[in-house]
Amino acid sequence: MKWLLIGFIIIQIGINLAHSVTVFPFVHYGMFSESFRQPDSLAVYQVTVNGKLLQARDFRVYRWDMIQSPLAASEAQEASRDFAFDRGKMGEGLQKIGLGGFFRTVEPQMRNDSADLAGFQTWYQRYLSGLLGYPVDSLRVEKVWYRWRAGQMQSCRTEIRINR
Amino acid sequence: MNYTRDKRTLLAVYFLFYYGVFLFFYIDHRLLGQYQPIFFNYNRDLTELALIATGLPKWMIHHTWGFVAADMLALAAPLAVLGSYFRRGRFSLWGGVFFTVVFSGWLLLADIFWQVHLEPFILYFLLSLVFWTNSPERWYWLLRGCRYYFLYIFFSAAVWKLARGAVFAPFEMSRILLRQHADLLSGVCDGWQCRAIVDLIGHPGLSWSIYVLGVLVELAFAVGFFTRRWDRLLLGLAVLFVAADLVIMRIPYWTVLMGGVTLWPGRPRRLKSGIVVYETTHHENLPALLDLCEDSFDRVTVFLKPVSFSNLSGGESPGLRWPGVRFVVQDEGVSNREFIGRMFRLLRVERYTHLHLSTLDNNFLLLAVRLWLARGVHVSLTVHEVNEYFAYAFSSLRDWTESLAKVLLHRRIRHHTMFLPAMAGRFLERMPGAVAVFIPSRFYGTPAAPGIEGYPGAWGPGDGSPGHGDGPAAPGGGSPGHGAGFAAPGGGSPAVPRPFRVVVPGSVDANRRDYGEVLSFFEEWSSHSRPVELVILGNSDSEYGRALLGRLRRLESAGFRCFGYEGYIPEEEYERQIASADILWSPLRVNKKSSRNSPETYGQTTASGLTADLLLYHAPALTPIGFELPEAFRAAQLSYSSREELKIVFDRLVQDAGFAQGLQLRIHEAFCFFKKENFTGAFRSMTGLPPLPAASQEESQPG
Repeated sequence: MKWLLIGFIIIQIGINLAHSVTVFPFVHYGMFSESFRQPDSLAVYQVTVNGKLLQARDFRVYRWDMIQSPLAASEAQEASRDFAFDRGKMGEGLQKIGLGGFFRTVEPQMRNDSADLAGFQTWYQRYLSGLLGYPVDSLRVEKVWYRWRAGQMQSCRTEIRINR
Repeated sequence: MNYTRDKRTLLAVYFLFYYGVFLFFYIDHRLLGQYQPIFFNYNRDLTELALIATGLPKWMIHHTWGFVAADMLALAAPLAVLGSYFRRGRFSLWGGVFFTVVFSGWLLLADIFWQVHLEPFILYFLLSLVFWTNSPERWYWLLRGCRYYFLYIFFSAAVWKLARGAVFAPFEMSRILLRQHADLLSGVCDGWQCRAIVDLIGHPGLSWSIYVLGVLVELAFAVGFFTRRWDRLLLGLAVLFVAADLVIMRIPYWTVLMGGVTLWPGRPRRLKSGIVVYETTHHENLPALLDLCEDSFDRVTVFLKPVSFSNLSGGESPGLRWPGVRFVVQDEGVSNREFIGRMFRLLRVERYTHLHLSTLDNNFLLLAVRLWLARGVHVSLTVHEVNEYFAYAFSSLRDWTESLAKVLLHRRIRHHTMFLPAMAGRFLERMPGAVAVFIPSRFYGTPAAPGIEGYPGAWGPGDGSPGHGDGPAAPGGGSPGHGAGFAAPGGGSPAVPRPFRVVVPGSVDANRRDYGEVLSFFEEWSSHSRPVELVILGNSDSEYGRALLGRLRRLESAGFRCFGYEGYIPEEEYERQIASADILWSPLRVNKKSSRNSPETYGQTTASGLTADLLLYHAPALTPIGFELPEAFRAAQLSYSSREELKIVFDRLVQDAGFAQGLQLRIHEAFCFFKKENFTGAFRSMTGLPPLPAASQEESQPG
């Protein structure tokens, strides 16, 4: 039992030193610990359903999170070309330890299907309808960049992401 | 610490949080079956990547019923832990492993699909490992490990902030607030929370102070690595931190508070452990139990009848022998029900942690119901008759109530002790998974070794050994020491050999013992070398008993005397007679009927009082063949299967002083096994207390 504890501590320290990578159940608790500069602008998704703009203050924190996070996740997936960088690094790592063949075998399982991804807007509309509890007849999602000026948010740029 | 209570507390807290988490997942539309995603994410967690590599997430996307199935599995998995615990009183390894695997799998899938963030749930995973074990030692070890992890969560968060320098940047918190609340601030900002956030962003010094304060609070958890004294305070700080996180950061991190349960068992002002022992008639079985209770509990209270109290420790006052024990004696006029009621009131009001039923022979249903209501108390039971405890009868109202009570008791009581290891084995066949241990009725250790100075049973005429000069009360006689033995009082003459004393202990009951065998033996056999004294050491105040004594007295001669008792024999006198015996004869009927008419086998499903009597001294015991004693008692056992064998044994013991003395020496050496230290482990297992460190106990249970 003692060695289990020692092993756990050693792995935990190793994971902490690895910073950006974790191995469940070894995670780190470094949130809000990074010192960063004042952001030039902040992007926010504005979701308008049936002509009405959804406001964060009207939702429980996690319900609001579930309105916002699929949009961010979809964009991240798109921007990263379906996490190509991560997959590449993984392939390199496995190649180094002689598991290149194994990686090539499982690699197709690690890619999202483009046909599925194409249905994101339909999926999001359906999910939103379930979350809000009423039919979503029209949906407009805009990504808006804000600047913090004089104690308030001022929009500086808008990009339409979904308009149905 | 109280293992049973701590386990229940953990189970209650853990699964309350577990289902609470899932309830809010449902409310927030986060269950996999509600989300039904069409793509998965990479979160740079290698375990998640391995799961993605298995193809399961992709398969689920194309088989959406898989999401619903995953939710159902996660919701039902606790049954694998709880079902086993409530049905058998213990965890099932496979049930625990199943739960951990299912929960972890669900969590990883949730992170892959909608980024649940694993951090607050790591303790759910780690604490689920305690459901894998039934060893109190491992259980507490794992719990302690999880406590450290809970402290680590907060402490490491502070270390990260220090190591990465955020705490030294005065504008840090202001920027964090801006990023964290961008969506809230971009909308209509007329609520108190939004306005407060705007104020904090506008006053970086103030917000930085809050950040530093948060880091200090997180750092404070380091104290828990060195002492448990402040655990309650740390739990309060954790709640405060989570509340502040919700108000200032709008992060509902309450799920992490489940880990606070690890601070509970060791909280500084924890309950003092205490055990209540309930005994009615078998006071002779209490000494070992009380010795062990005194060692392991802060408080010990015994509820017993006056006759049990006055006979508990022979001539010595129970209060002097067990100074740490409180004795509550059932006053005259107080009914059993009232007495039991008082006991449960004491348990509740004084918050005792344990109850041991040393004898269960009345008010079954009342006790069963009260035990079900006293859920937090760890209950254990001395089982006197194994078959009877599992027998159901329905021929009278009492049978009905007792049968119903037994059903309840079997579920409520999972820890038992018995007077023979074989009984414990038989018991476990009937109740697999329960705890059944062997603890003798008393420990051996007072008499001097045979053959050395001061040894009361040393051979030699006129040695003045106990009970030697004074015989027991003659039949019908009142006070002990009333009848005269062969030797002259206070010493005896060298010319008269010391009588050979045969003691037949136990109540004079034809169902339990074959006294006819004793009678017919002494009709046939007599000793020419030494006079013989026969002591019927049990209450003969019955028609059968009086007739038996009458017939035995008719055999009296210059070489044979018989003594008996009518009425209850005081323990002091009882022990004096045992100590004066050259042999204890227990003419048991190996197969007998229990008090409620169930068939029982001595040595297998029920124990004779002989094992308690033997440990008072080191006299050999004569028993019929078929009655088996455990290994440690065997040095004392002389078995016979026929009258001829009986004669051989008696002739040898009477005539061969060296044989008898050697035999007693071997018994003395064998009985040295019956010391407290050898049964501490069994006792702690019965009471659900964590075992003592290996160095502090020598645990060796006889087969």
